[in-house]
Amino acid sequence: MTALISISDFSVTRGSHVLLSGLGFELHAGEVVVVLGPNGAGKSSLLLALAGLIPCSGSVELLGRPVAAFRRTEMSQAVAWQGELPPTEFGLTVRQRLELAAGEACAAVDAVAAAMDVALLLHRPLGELSSGERQRVELAALMLRNTPIWLLDEPTAHLDLKHQMHCIRMMREQRGAGRAMVVVLHDLQQAMAVADHLILIDGKGGAEYGEARKLFADDRLSRLFDAPLCMQGSLLVPDYGEQR
Amino acid sequence: MMRWMFLALAIAVCLLLGLAVGEHWINPFAAHDALDRTILWDLRLPRLLTAFAVGGLLALAGAWFQVLLGNPLAEPYVLGVAGSASAGAVTGLMFVPDSAWVMSAGAFAGAWLGIVIVMVFSRLGPNRMLLAGVVLAAFWSAVLALLLALLPEQGLFRAFAWMMGDLSHSDLPLAVLLLAWVVALVCGLFLSRSLDVLLLGERHAEALGVDVKRLRQRLLLLASAVTALAVTAAGTIGFVGLVIPHLMRLLFGSLHRAVLPASAIGGGLLLVLADCAARTVIAPAELPVGVLTAMIGVPVFLLLLSRRA
Repeated sequence: MTALISISDFSVTRGSHVLLSGLGFELHAGEVVVVLGPNGAGKSSLLLALAGLIPCSGSVELLGRPVAAFRRTEMSQAVAWQGELPPTEFGLTVRQRLELAAGEACAAVDAVAAAMDVALLLHRPLGELSSGERQRVELAALMLRNTPIWLLDEPTAHLDLKHQMHCIRMMREQRGAGRAMVVVLHDLQQAMAVADHLILIDGKGGAEYGEARKLFADDRLSRLFDAPLCMQGSLLVPDYGEQR
Repeated sequence: MMRWMFLALAIAVCLLLGLAVGEHWINPFAAHDALDRTILWDLRLPRLLTAFAVGGLLALAGAWFQVLLGNPLAEPYVLGVAGSASAGAVTGLMFVPDSAWVMSAGAFAGAWLGIVIVMVFSRLGPNRMLLAGVVLAAFWSAVLALLLALLPEQGLFRAFAWMMGDLSHSDLPLAVLLLAWVVALVCGLFLSRSLDVLLLGERHAEALGVDVKRLRQRLLLLASAVTALAVTAAGTIGFVGLVIPHLMRLLFGSLHRAVLPASAIGGGLLLVLADCAARTVIAPAELPVGVLTAMIGVPVFLLLLSRRA
Protein backbone atom coordinates (compact mmCIF):
# COMPACT_ATOMS: atom_id res chain seq x y z
CA MET A 1 0.00 0.00 0.00
CA THR A 2 1.41 3.42 -0.99
CA ALA A 3 2.04 5.71 1.95
CA LEU A 4 0.01 8.93 1.98
CA ILE A 5 2.86 10.69 3.75
CA SER A 6 6.43 9.46 3.57
CA ILE A 7 9.21 11.46 5.18
CA SER A 8 12.83 10.78 5.95
CA ASP A 9 15.67 12.77 7.49
CA PHE A 10 13.05 15.44 8.23
CA SER A 11 14.11 18.61 10.08
CA VAL A 12 12.29 21.75 11.18
CA THR A 13 14.05 24.86 12.47
CA ARG A 14 12.71 28.08 13.98
CA GLY A 15 15.28 30.81 13.40
CA SER A 16 18.58 29.25 14.41
CA HIS A 17 16.90 26.77 16.81
CA VAL A 18 16.54 23.18 15.56
CA LEU A 19 13.11 22.00 16.74
CA LEU A 20 13.43 18.45 15.47
CA SER A 21 15.77 16.61 13.16
CA GLY A 22 16.28 13.22 11.62
CA LEU A 23 12.62 12.18 11.81
CA GLY A 24 11.34 9.54 9.42
CA PHE A 25 7.95 7.85 9.20
CA GLU A 26 5.21 6.72 6.87
CA LEU A 27 1.49 7.38 7.23
CA HIS A 28 -0.99 5.08 5.53
CA ALA A 29 -4.72 5.33 4.91
CA GLY A 30 -6.76 4.62 8.06
CA GLU A 31 -3.83 5.28 10.36
CA VAL A 32 -3.47 7.79 13.22
CA VAL A 33 -0.11 9.11 14.37
CA VAL A 34 -0.22 11.11 17.61
CA VAL A 35 2.49 13.68 18.30
CA LEU A 36 3.46 14.10 21.95
CA GLY A 37 5.99 16.34 23.62
CA PRO A 38 6.46 19.19 26.07
CA ASN A 39 5.34 22.79 25.36
CA GLY A 40 7.41 24.53 22.71
CA ALA A 41 9.00 21.28 21.53
CA GLY A 42 7.84 21.80 17.94
CA LYS A 43 4.68 19.67 17.68
CA SER A 44 2.63 22.38 15.94
CA SER A 45 5.61 23.29 13.78
CA LEU A 46 5.79 19.65 12.63
CA LEU A 47 2.15 19.85 11.47
CA LEU A 48 2.70 23.22 9.80
CA ALA A 49 5.73 21.85 7.98
CA LEU A 50 3.79 18.76 6.83
CA ALA A 51 1.03 21.08 5.57
CA GLY A 52 3.63 23.08 3.63
CA LEU A 53 2.90 26.20 5.67
CA ILE A 54 6.45 26.63 7.00
CA PRO A 55 9.74 25.52 5.43
CA CYS A 56 11.40 22.24 6.37
CA SER A 57 14.26 20.12 5.10
CA GLY A 58 14.57 16.46 4.25
CA SER A 59 12.58 14.25 1.95
CA VAL A 60 8.79 14.73 2.14
CA GLU A 61 6.41 12.88 -0.16
CA LEU A 62 2.65 13.29 -0.20
CA LEU A 63 0.52 10.75 -2.06
CA GLY A 64 3.73 9.43 -3.66
CA ARG A 65 4.89 12.82 -4.99
CA PRO A 66 7.55 15.19 -3.61
CA VAL A 67 5.86 17.94 -1.66
CA ALA A 68 7.74 20.60 -3.65
CA ALA A 69 5.83 19.52 -6.76
CA PHE A 70 2.49 20.48 -5.21
CA ARG A 71 0.85 23.79 -6.02
CA ARG A 72 -0.93 25.45 -3.10
CA THR A 73 -4.37 24.52 -4.43
CA GLU A 74 -3.29 20.90 -4.98
CA MET A 75 -1.89 20.83 -1.47
CA SER A 76 -5.20 22.01 -0.04
CA GLN A 77 -6.95 19.14 -1.82
CA ALA A 78 -4.52 16.59 -0.32
CA VAL A 79 -4.10 17.89 3.22
CA ALA A 80 -6.49 19.60 5.65
CA TRP A 81 -4.83 21.41 8.56
CA GLN A 82 -6.76 22.31 11.69
CA GLY A 83 -5.26 24.88 14.01
CA GLU A 84 -6.56 27.59 16.30
CA LEU A 85 -8.36 30.33 14.38
CA PRO A 86 -6.90 33.78 15.06
CA PRO A 87 -9.32 36.50 16.25
CA THR A 88 -11.38 37.80 13.34
CA GLU A 89 -12.58 41.41 13.39
CA PHE A 90 -14.83 41.56 10.37
CA GLY A 91 -18.03 39.87 11.53
CA LEU A 92 -17.68 36.59 9.63
CA THR A 93 -20.45 34.22 10.74
CA VAL A 94 -20.11 30.52 11.54
CA ARG A 95 -22.06 29.60 8.38
CA GLN A 96 -19.76 31.74 6.25
CA ARG A 97 -16.68 30.20 7.88
CA LEU A 98 -17.99 26.69 7.17
CA GLU A 99 -18.89 27.59 3.59
CA LEU A 100 -15.36 28.86 3.03
CA ALA A 101 -14.02 25.50 4.23
CA ALA A 102 -16.53 23.55 2.17
CA GLY A 103 -15.75 25.32 -1.12
CA GLU A 104 -17.93 23.65 -3.75
CA ALA A 105 -19.62 21.39 -1.17
CA CYS A 106 -21.70 24.15 0.47
CA ALA A 107 -24.79 21.91 0.50
CA ALA A 108 -23.13 19.74 3.16
CA VAL A 109 -22.77 22.59 5.65
CA ASP A 110 -26.11 22.13 7.44
CA ALA A 111 -25.72 18.37 7.83
CA VAL A 112 -22.15 18.65 9.13
CA ALA A 113 -23.12 21.52 11.45
CA ALA A 114 -25.85 19.32 12.93
CA ALA A 115 -23.51 16.34 13.27
CA MET A 116 -20.84 18.45 14.99
CA ASP A 117 -23.34 20.19 17.31
CA VAL A 118 -22.83 23.70 15.90
CA ALA A 119 -26.17 24.07 14.08
CA LEU A 120 -27.41 26.57 16.67
CA LEU A 121 -24.30 28.71 16.16
CA LEU A 122 -24.57 29.05 12.38
CA HIS A 123 -25.87 32.63 12.32
CA ARG A 124 -23.51 33.92 15.01
CA PRO A 125 -20.32 35.90 14.28
CA LEU A 126 -17.11 33.97 15.04
CA GLY A 127 -15.89 36.80 17.26
CA GLU A 128 -18.79 36.26 19.69
CA LEU A 129 -18.09 32.56 20.33
CA SER A 130 -16.34 31.05 23.33
CA SER A 131 -13.04 29.22 22.79
CA GLY A 132 -14.80 25.85 23.01
CA GLU A 133 -17.49 26.87 20.51
CA ARG A 134 -14.84 28.14 18.12
CA GLN A 135 -13.02 24.83 18.42
CA ARG A 136 -16.22 22.93 17.58
CA VAL A 137 -16.71 25.17 14.55
CA GLU A 138 -13.13 24.44 13.45
CA LEU A 139 -13.76 20.70 13.78
CA ALA A 140 -16.92 21.09 11.69
CA ALA A 141 -14.86 23.02 9.12
CA LEU A 142 -12.41 20.13 9.09
CA MET A 143 -15.23 17.65 8.50
CA LEU A 144 -16.11 19.60 5.37
CA ARG A 145 -12.62 19.08 3.94
CA ASN A 146 -12.72 15.86 1.98
CA THR A 147 -8.96 15.32 1.90
CA PRO A 148 -7.19 11.99 2.45
CA ILE A 149 -4.88 13.47 5.11
CA TRP A 150 -5.86 15.47 8.19
CA LEU A 151 -3.37 17.34 10.38
CA LEU A 152 -4.99 18.21 13.70
CA ASP A 153 -3.36 20.56 16.20
CA GLU A 154 -4.85 19.91 19.64
CA PRO A 155 -8.38 19.18 18.36
CA THR A 156 -9.75 18.62 21.89
CA ALA A 157 -8.36 21.87 23.35
CA HIS A 158 -11.02 24.09 25.02
CA LEU A 159 -13.73 21.41 24.60
CA ASP A 160 -15.94 20.22 27.44
CA LEU A 161 -15.94 16.50 28.27
CA LYS A 162 -18.91 15.68 26.05
CA HIS A 163 -17.35 17.32 23.02
CA GLN A 164 -13.89 15.90 23.76
CA MET A 165 -15.44 12.43 23.61
CA HIS A 166 -17.34 13.40 20.48
CA CYS A 167 -14.10 14.54 18.89
CA ILE A 168 -12.28 11.29 19.75
CA ARG A 169 -15.19 9.23 18.38
CA MET A 170 -15.18 11.34 15.23
CA MET A 171 -11.46 10.65 14.75
CA ARG A 172 -12.01 6.93 15.19
CA GLU A 173 -14.86 6.97 12.65
CA GLN A 174 -12.73 8.85 10.18
CA ARG A 175 -9.86 6.41 10.69
CA GLY A 176 -12.32 3.60 10.01
CA ALA A 177 -13.35 5.37 6.81
CA GLY A 178 -9.74 5.37 5.63
CA ARG A 179 -8.68 8.88 6.64
CA ALA A 180 -5.02 9.27 7.68
CA MET A 181 -4.31 11.64 10.54
CA VAL A 182 -1.38 13.22 12.34
CA VAL A 183 -2.71 14.62 15.62
CA VAL A 184 -1.08 16.73 18.30
CA LEU A 185 -2.52 15.89 21.72
CA HIS A 186 -1.63 16.58 25.33
CA ASP A 187 -4.01 14.15 27.01
CA LEU A 188 -2.40 10.71 27.26
CA GLN A 189 -5.73 8.89 27.60
CA GLN A 190 -7.03 10.51 24.44
CA ALA A 191 -3.75 9.66 22.72
CA MET A 192 -4.09 6.02 23.81
CA ALA A 193 -7.65 5.99 22.50
CA VAL A 194 -6.72 6.90 18.93
CA ALA A 195 -3.00 6.40 18.28
CA ASP A 196 -1.61 3.67 16.09
CA HIS A 197 1.85 5.22 16.20
CA LEU A 198 3.47 7.98 18.22
CA ILE A 199 5.97 10.68 17.39
CA LEU A 200 7.76 11.85 20.54
CA ILE A 201 9.46 15.24 20.28
CA ASP A 202 11.75 16.10 23.17
CA GLY A 203 12.25 19.84 22.54
CA LYS A 204 16.02 19.39 22.22
CA GLY A 205 16.00 18.50 18.55
CA GLY A 206 15.27 14.80 19.05
CA ALA A 207 12.25 13.04 17.57
CA GLU A 208 11.29 9.39 17.82
CA TYR A 209 8.66 7.46 15.87
CA GLY A 210 7.30 4.13 17.00
CA GLU A 211 4.36 1.86 17.59
CA ALA A 212 1.99 3.39 20.16
CA ARG A 213 1.50 0.20 22.16
CA LYS A 214 5.24 -0.20 22.77
CA LEU A 215 5.95 3.45 23.55
CA PHE A 216 3.08 3.68 26.02
CA ALA A 217 4.38 0.57 27.80
CA ASP A 218 7.81 1.80 28.87
CA ASP A 219 8.98 4.85 30.82
CA ARG A 220 9.91 6.93 27.78
CA LEU A 221 6.86 9.18 28.13
CA SER A 222 7.72 9.83 31.76
CA ARG A 223 11.19 10.95 30.68
CA LEU A 224 9.80 12.93 27.75
CA PHE A 225 7.55 15.05 29.94
CA ASP A 226 9.89 14.95 32.95
CA ALA A 227 6.82 13.95 35.00
CA PRO A 228 5.93 10.78 36.95
CA LEU A 229 3.37 8.54 35.23
CA CYS A 230 1.78 5.32 36.41
CA MET A 231 -0.44 2.60 34.95
CA GLN A 232 -3.98 2.39 36.29
CA GLY A 233 -5.42 -0.74 34.77
CA SER A 234 -4.64 -0.36 31.10
CA LEU A 235 -4.39 3.46 31.30
CA LEU A 236 -1.23 5.52 31.59
CA VAL A 237 -2.02 8.47 33.87
CA PRO A 238 -0.10 11.24 35.66
CA ASP A 239 0.98 10.20 39.15
CA TYR A 240 -0.14 13.13 41.36
CA GLY A 241 0.69 11.24 44.58
CA GLU A 242 -1.71 10.61 47.45
CA GLN A 243 -4.45 13.18 48.12
CA ARG A 244 -4.48 14.41 51.75
CA MET B 1 -32.59 41.91 -1.51
CA MET B 2 -34.41 44.77 0.24
CA ARG B 3 -31.05 46.29 1.13
CA TRP B 4 -29.87 46.24 -2.47
CA MET B 5 -33.14 47.85 -3.56
CA PHE B 6 -32.60 50.50 -0.90
CA LEU B 7 -29.10 51.09 -2.28
CA ALA B 8 -30.50 51.40 -5.83
CA LEU B 9 -33.06 53.93 -4.57
CA ALA B 10 -30.29 55.80 -2.75
CA ILE B 11 -28.30 56.00 -6.01
CA ALA B 12 -31.26 57.58 -7.81
CA VAL B 13 -31.97 60.06 -5.00
CA CYS B 14 -28.32 61.06 -4.56
CA LEU B 15 -27.71 61.50 -8.28
CA LEU B 16 -30.82 63.69 -8.59
CA LEU B 17 -29.79 65.67 -5.50
CA GLY B 18 -26.27 66.07 -6.89
CA LEU B 19 -27.72 67.58 -10.07
CA ALA B 20 -30.36 69.72 -8.40
CA VAL B 21 -28.43 71.14 -5.45
CA GLY B 22 -26.07 74.07 -5.71
CA GLU B 23 -25.94 77.80 -5.41
CA HIS B 24 -29.00 77.76 -7.70
CA TRP B 25 -31.48 74.89 -7.30
CA ILE B 26 -32.38 73.39 -10.65
CA ASN B 27 -35.03 70.75 -11.36
CA PRO B 28 -33.25 68.29 -13.70
CA PHE B 29 -36.62 67.30 -15.24
CA ALA B 30 -37.61 70.87 -16.05
CA ALA B 31 -34.36 72.51 -17.11
CA HIS B 32 -35.49 74.29 -20.26
CA ASP B 33 -33.21 77.27 -19.89
CA ALA B 34 -29.89 77.01 -21.82
CA LEU B 35 -27.91 78.29 -18.82
CA ASP B 36 -29.57 75.76 -16.52
CA ARG B 37 -28.80 72.97 -18.98
CA THR B 38 -25.16 74.08 -19.17
CA ILE B 39 -24.91 74.16 -15.38
CA LEU B 40 -26.58 70.76 -15.10
CA TRP B 41 -24.84 68.77 -17.79
CA ASP B 42 -21.50 70.55 -18.28
CA LEU B 43 -20.70 71.50 -14.69
CA ARG B 44 -22.67 69.51 -12.14
CA LEU B 45 -22.87 66.12 -13.89
CA PRO B 46 -19.09 65.75 -14.43
CA ARG B 47 -18.43 66.89 -10.87
CA LEU B 48 -21.08 64.54 -9.51
CA LEU B 49 -19.63 61.60 -11.43
CA THR B 50 -16.11 62.55 -10.30
CA ALA B 51 -17.31 62.59 -6.68
CA PHE B 52 -19.05 59.23 -7.16
CA ALA B 53 -15.99 57.59 -8.73
CA VAL B 54 -13.52 59.03 -6.20
CA GLY B 55 -15.72 58.07 -3.23
CA GLY B 56 -16.16 54.56 -4.61
CA LEU B 57 -12.43 54.14 -5.24
CA LEU B 58 -11.57 55.32 -1.72
CA ALA B 59 -14.10 52.93 -0.17
CA LEU B 60 -12.79 50.00 -2.24
CA ALA B 61 -9.21 50.84 -1.28
CA GLY B 62 -10.28 51.05 2.38
CA ALA B 63 -11.94 47.62 2.26
CA TRP B 64 -8.82 46.12 0.65
CA PHE B 65 -6.38 47.72 3.10
CA GLN B 66 -8.46 46.49 6.05
CA VAL B 67 -8.21 42.88 4.83
CA LEU B 68 -4.63 43.23 3.60
CA LEU B 69 -3.43 44.49 6.96
CA GLY B 70 -5.93 42.45 9.00
CA ASN B 71 -6.78 45.67 10.82
CA PRO B 72 -10.24 47.24 11.00
CA LEU B 73 -8.70 50.68 11.56
CA ALA B 74 -6.86 50.61 8.23
CA GLU B 75 -7.90 53.11 5.54
CA PRO B 76 -6.47 54.18 2.17
CA TYR B 77 -4.02 56.65 3.70
CA VAL B 78 -2.78 54.35 6.49
CA LEU B 79 0.50 53.61 4.72
CA GLY B 80 1.35 57.28 4.23
CA VAL B 81 0.12 57.66 0.64
CA ALA B 82 -1.86 60.80 1.53
CA GLY B 83 1.25 62.41 3.00
CA SER B 84 3.48 61.60 0.06
CA ALA B 85 0.80 62.69 -2.43
CA SER B 86 0.30 65.97 -0.54
CA ALA B 87 4.05 66.57 -0.49
CA GLY B 88 4.12 65.92 -4.25
CA ALA B 89 1.17 68.24 -4.87
CA VAL B 90 2.71 71.08 -2.84
CA THR B 91 6.04 70.57 -4.62
CA GLY B 92 4.20 70.98 -7.93
CA LEU B 93 2.50 74.10 -6.56
CA MET B 94 5.88 75.58 -5.57
CA PHE B 95 7.28 75.29 -9.07
CA VAL B 96 4.17 76.19 -11.11
CA PRO B 97 1.76 78.00 -8.78
CA ASP B 98 -1.04 78.50 -11.31
CA SER B 99 -1.24 75.06 -12.86
CA ALA B 100 -3.72 72.61 -11.38
CA TRP B 101 -2.39 70.04 -13.85
CA VAL B 102 1.17 70.26 -12.47
CA MET B 103 -0.22 69.97 -8.94
CA SER B 104 -2.13 66.80 -9.89
CA ALA B 105 0.95 65.37 -11.60
CA GLY B 106 2.96 66.13 -8.46
CA ALA B 107 0.33 64.39 -6.31
CA PHE B 108 0.33 61.33 -8.56
CA ALA B 109 4.14 61.13 -8.56
CA GLY B 110 4.23 61.68 -4.78
CA ALA B 111 1.62 58.98 -4.18
CA TRP B 112 3.59 56.45 -6.21
CA LEU B 113 6.86 57.39 -4.51
CA GLY B 114 5.16 56.64 -1.19
CA ILE B 115 3.73 53.37 -2.51
CA VAL B 116 7.09 52.16 -3.88
CA ILE B 117 8.77 52.83 -0.52
CA VAL B 118 5.99 50.97 1.36
CA MET B 119 6.25 48.03 -1.04
CA VAL B 120 9.88 47.55 -0.01
CA PHE B 121 8.54 46.76 3.46
CA SER B 122 5.65 44.56 2.29
CA ARG B 123 7.77 41.40 2.41
CA LEU B 124 8.11 41.86 6.19
CA GLY B 125 4.46 40.95 6.73
CA PRO B 126 1.34 43.01 7.43
CA ASN B 127 2.19 44.16 10.95
CA ARG B 128 5.63 45.50 10.09
CA MET B 129 4.33 46.97 6.85
CA LEU B 130 1.67 48.83 8.87
CA LEU B 131 4.32 50.04 11.31
CA ALA B 132 6.53 51.17 8.42
CA GLY B 133 3.52 52.93 6.87
CA VAL B 134 2.72 54.81 10.07
CA VAL B 135 6.34 55.91 10.45
CA LEU B 136 6.48 56.93 6.78
CA ALA B 137 3.25 58.90 7.22
CA ALA B 138 4.94 60.84 10.03
CA PHE B 139 7.95 61.42 7.77
CA TRP B 140 5.78 62.70 4.90
CA SER B 141 3.91 64.98 7.34
CA ALA B 142 7.25 66.52 8.30
CA VAL B 143 8.21 66.94 4.64
CA LEU B 144 4.81 68.52 3.97
CA ALA B 145 5.18 70.93 6.90
CA LEU B 146 8.61 71.94 5.56
CA LEU B 147 7.23 72.49 2.04
CA LEU B 148 4.27 74.49 3.35
CA ALA B 149 6.65 76.68 5.35
CA LEU B 150 8.57 77.41 2.15
CA LEU B 151 5.46 77.88 -0.03
CA PRO B 152 4.68 81.48 -1.09
CA GLU B 153 1.63 82.87 0.70
CA GLN B 154 -0.62 82.90 -2.37
CA GLY B 155 -0.21 79.15 -2.78
CA LEU B 156 -1.16 78.30 0.80
CA PHE B 157 -4.93 78.54 0.38
CA ARG B 158 -4.84 76.33 -2.71
CA ALA B 159 -2.64 73.80 -0.92
CA PHE B 160 -4.88 73.63 2.15
CA ALA B 161 -8.04 73.36 0.04
CA TRP B 162 -6.51 70.41 -1.84
CA MET B 163 -5.31 68.73 1.34
CA MET B 164 -8.84 68.80 2.78
CA GLY B 165 -10.42 67.42 -0.37
CA ASP B 166 -11.20 69.44 -3.45
CA LEU B 167 -13.50 68.27 -6.23
CA SER B 168 -13.64 71.62 -7.98
CA HIS B 169 -10.26 71.39 -9.73
CA SER B 170 -10.05 67.76 -10.79
CA ASP B 171 -7.89 67.56 -13.89
CA LEU B 172 -8.12 63.84 -14.42
CA PRO B 173 -10.39 62.96 -17.35
CA LEU B 174 -13.73 61.75 -16.02
CA ALA B 175 -13.60 58.71 -18.30
CA VAL B 176 -10.35 57.60 -16.61
CA LEU B 177 -11.94 57.80 -13.17
CA LEU B 178 -15.11 55.96 -14.19
CA LEU B 179 -13.10 53.29 -16.00
CA ALA B 180 -10.89 52.92 -12.91
CA TRP B 181 -14.03 52.49 -10.76
CA VAL B 182 -15.29 49.70 -13.02
CA VAL B 183 -11.89 47.97 -13.37
CA ALA B 184 -11.22 48.17 -9.62
CA LEU B 185 -14.62 46.70 -8.83
CA VAL B 186 -14.22 43.87 -11.35
CA CYS B 187 -10.70 43.08 -10.01
CA GLY B 188 -12.09 43.16 -6.48
CA LEU B 189 -14.91 40.77 -7.33
CA PHE B 190 -12.42 38.48 -9.07
CA LEU B 191 -10.42 38.33 -5.80
CA SER B 192 -13.45 38.29 -3.51
CA ARG B 193 -13.35 34.63 -2.44
CA SER B 194 -9.62 34.86 -1.69
CA LEU B 195 -10.31 37.99 0.37
CA ASP B 196 -13.02 36.15 2.31
CA VAL B 197 -10.61 33.31 3.05
CA LEU B 198 -7.93 35.79 4.14
CA LEU B 199 -10.32 36.94 6.88
CA LEU B 200 -9.57 33.57 8.55
CA GLY B 201 -5.90 34.53 8.91
CA GLU B 202 -2.83 33.91 6.82
CA ARG B 203 -2.24 30.26 7.76
CA HIS B 204 -5.85 29.16 7.37
CA ALA B 205 -6.03 30.95 4.02
CA GLU B 206 -2.91 29.14 2.79
CA ALA B 207 -4.25 25.84 4.11
CA LEU B 208 -7.37 26.44 2.01
CA GLY B 209 -5.27 26.87 -1.12
CA VAL B 210 -4.79 30.66 -1.31
CA ASP B 211 -1.35 31.87 -2.36
CA VAL B 212 -1.29 34.52 0.37
CA LYS B 213 2.00 36.14 -0.65
CA ARG B 214 0.84 36.71 -4.22
CA LEU B 215 -2.61 37.85 -3.05
CA ARG B 216 -1.07 40.41 -0.70
CA GLN B 217 1.16 41.77 -3.48
CA ARG B 218 -1.78 42.11 -5.87
CA LEU B 219 -3.94 43.68 -3.20
CA LEU B 220 -1.28 46.18 -2.16
CA LEU B 221 -0.68 47.20 -5.76
CA LEU B 222 -4.40 47.46 -6.54
CA ALA B 223 -5.33 49.38 -3.37
CA SER B 224 -2.34 51.70 -3.74
CA ALA B 225 -3.02 52.43 -7.43
CA VAL B 226 -6.65 53.20 -6.66
CA THR B 227 -5.68 55.46 -3.74
CA ALA B 228 -3.11 57.29 -5.89
CA LEU B 229 -5.76 57.92 -8.56
CA ALA B 230 -8.36 59.13 -6.04
CA VAL B 231 -5.96 61.40 -4.25
CA THR B 232 -4.73 62.85 -7.55
CA ALA B 233 -8.30 63.59 -8.63
CA ALA B 234 -9.61 65.14 -5.44
CA GLY B 235 -6.91 65.62 -2.82
CA THR B 236 -7.03 63.85 0.52
CA ILE B 237 -10.59 63.03 1.56
CA GLY B 238 -10.74 61.22 4.87
CA PHE B 239 -13.26 58.88 6.50
CA VAL B 240 -14.82 57.50 3.28
CA GLY B 241 -12.28 54.68 3.09
CA LEU B 242 -12.51 53.92 6.80
CA VAL B 243 -16.23 54.24 7.46
CA ILE B 244 -17.94 52.97 4.30
CA PRO B 245 -16.52 49.40 4.24
CA HIS B 246 -17.55 48.90 7.89
CA LEU B 247 -20.95 50.46 7.23
CA MET B 248 -21.48 48.08 4.31
CA ARG B 249 -20.35 45.09 6.38
CA LEU B 250 -22.97 46.04 8.97
CA LEU B 251 -25.62 46.24 6.24
CA PHE B 252 -24.59 43.48 3.83
CA GLY B 253 -22.46 41.03 5.86
CA SER B 254 -18.76 40.21 5.62
CA LEU B 255 -18.45 38.44 2.27
CA HIS B 256 -16.62 40.54 -0.29
CA ARG B 257 -18.85 39.70 -3.22
CA ALA B 258 -21.37 41.94 -1.39
CA VAL B 259 -19.04 44.28 0.55
CA LEU B 260 -17.05 45.44 -2.48
CA PRO B 261 -19.90 46.48 -4.81
CA ALA B 262 -21.80 47.97 -1.87
CA SER B 263 -18.68 49.93 -0.82
CA ALA B 264 -17.98 51.11 -4.38
CA ILE B 265 -21.53 52.46 -4.53
CA GLY B 266 -21.85 53.59 -0.91
CA GLY B 267 -18.52 55.45 -0.97
CA GLY B 268 -19.59 57.19 -4.15
CA LEU B 269 -22.93 58.20 -2.67
CA LEU B 270 -21.37 59.53 0.54
CA LEU B 271 -19.02 61.72 -1.44
CA VAL B 272 -21.84 62.95 -3.72
CA LEU B 273 -23.89 63.91 -0.66
CA ALA B 274 -20.90 65.52 1.03
CA ASP B 275 -20.15 67.50 -2.12
CA CYS B 276 -23.79 68.68 -2.31
CA ALA B 277 -23.47 69.98 1.23
CA ALA B 278 -20.01 71.47 0.55
CA ARG B 279 -21.40 73.44 -2.39
CA THR B 280 -24.46 74.80 -0.60
CA VAL B 281 -23.81 75.34 3.10
CA ILE B 282 -21.88 78.60 2.67
CA ALA B 283 -22.74 79.26 -1.02
CA PRO B 284 -21.41 80.88 -3.14
CA ALA B 285 -18.21 79.82 -1.31
CA GLU B 286 -17.43 76.12 -0.86
CA LEU B 287 -16.48 74.08 2.17
CA PRO B 288 -13.72 71.46 1.87
CA VAL B 289 -15.50 68.20 1.03
CA GLY B 290 -13.30 66.21 3.43
CA VAL B 291 -14.84 68.11 6.36
CA LEU B 292 -18.32 67.09 5.20
CA THR B 293 -17.47 63.40 4.65
CA ALA B 294 -16.40 63.20 8.27
CA MET B 295 -19.44 65.13 9.49
CA ILE B 296 -21.88 62.90 7.58
CA GLY B 297 -20.05 59.57 7.71
CA VAL B 298 -19.04 59.42 11.33
CA PRO B 299 -22.49 59.99 12.97
CA VAL B 300 -24.18 57.56 10.54
CA PHE B 301 -21.56 54.94 11.26
CA LEU B 302 -21.75 55.41 15.04
CA LEU B 303 -25.57 55.23 14.91
CA LEU B 304 -25.51 51.94 13.01
CA LEU B 305 -22.79 50.57 15.26
CA SER B 306 -24.75 51.32 18.42
CA ARG B 307 -27.95 49.83 16.94
CA ARG B 308 -26.11 46.65 15.96
CA ALA B 309 -24.53 46.37 19.42
